[in-house]
Amino acid sequence: MKRNVIVIVVVVFLLVVLGLAGWANRQNRVRLALHQQAQENQAVLVAGNAADSGSANGLHMSSPLVGKRAPNFTLTNLKGEKVSLADYKGKAVQLNFWATWCAPCKIETPWLIELEKQYQPQGFEILGVSFDDLDKDDPKLLAKDKAGIEKTVAQLKIPYPVLLDGDSIAKPYGDSDVYPTSFFVDRSGTIVAASFGLTSKDDLESNIRKALGTGNGTGVGAGK
Amino acid sequence: MTRRRFAAVVLALAVVPLAAQSPLVDAKPRNEKVKPAVAYLFPEQVTVVAGKATAVDLHFKVADGLHINSHTPKEEELIPTTLVLPESSGVRLAGATFPTGTDYAFAVNPKEKLSVYTGEFTVHAELVAKHGEHLVEATLHYQACNNEQCMPPHSIPVAIDVIAK
Repeated sequence: MKRNVIVIVVVVFLLVVLGLAGWANRQNRVRLALHQQAQENQAVLVAGNAADSGSANGLHMSSPLVGKRAPNFTLTNLKGEKVSLADYKGKAVQLNFWATWCAPCKIETPWLIELEKQYQPQGFEILGVSFDDLDKDDPKLLAKDKAGIEKTVAQLKIPYPVLLDGDSIAKPYGDSDVYPTSFFVDRSGTIVAASFGLTSKDDLESNIRKALGTGNGTGVGAGK
Repeated sequence: MTRRRFAAVVLALAVVPLAAQSPLVDAKPRNEKVKPAVAYLFPEQVTVVAGKATAVDLHFKVADGLHINSHTPKEEELIPTTLVLPESSGVRLAGATFPTGTDYAFAVNPKEKLSVYTGEFTVHAELVAKHGEHLVEATLHYQACNNEQCMPPHSIPVAIDVIAK
């Protein structure tokens, strides 16, 4: 009898271990899939033509997201309203990832303001996405974080919507971790170009024209 | 099948998936493995007088091609380089003197100067330690950029073995 009890306990223990192992394996498969997805979307530094890339050292970042559908998202703007990329269906959109602590982001902001004004009549919009840290667990600090972003937006006189908590959409957009970063989305929702770091107003304009389908004809699904 | 054989089979079935998962456990996003922009150089160990403020020079190096904001950046929004010691380490940071930053401007906006550190820089720290040996893990917080793009704010550990006599 005693021996039977021991065998049952051992078998139950082993079954529990087996169950835990299966659960752990499943968790790992999920984690690996997410990791692989993140790597697939991750921008990579590639050699290129310095004149084309706007980079002094002839290197530029390339995003595997170009040619793919822009991942949809819903974020909150500075007024507390929900804004989705899907709200901009039919428009050419530049997603501009920036932060208040990013000096080169501030250099390109006046160019963005001018370009949006110039191309808005053709159906072009900019969505600024702030990657400033937000202390979500502390309402006072969160209010302070938001006030800091609002202050910078006011100083830079940014007329286009600025969305908060960019970190929450970093993964689907490749986790590039460099700022400024812009993705140019055409009217059909396809990313037709991406730029990483400070380029030039001409480069930005060229990418905007691609998104509008008025560029060099290299846009994917442009003009639909 | 005997009970022993049955138990052995169940055990083997349990071990196979456990062994299979091990190579994946360390899988981490690539960005977590990016080399930090700043490296702590030395000292690894210092000897100070217990209970008295002692000057210790901490040496750092910013990676080639990068710069970080100085301790006193010229704009309020820019993130300063700071040094923090954990409160419970038995060692207190009585003061820290950071070097003056050098002027830096992005090529497309030469008029707007930033105050930055490049290459090697030294922080003069004043440490007050209780008697004994303390393994202190201070933190240097900074935000780095190159000549066209910036990286998010980051912290590196500054590990020092403080011997207070």
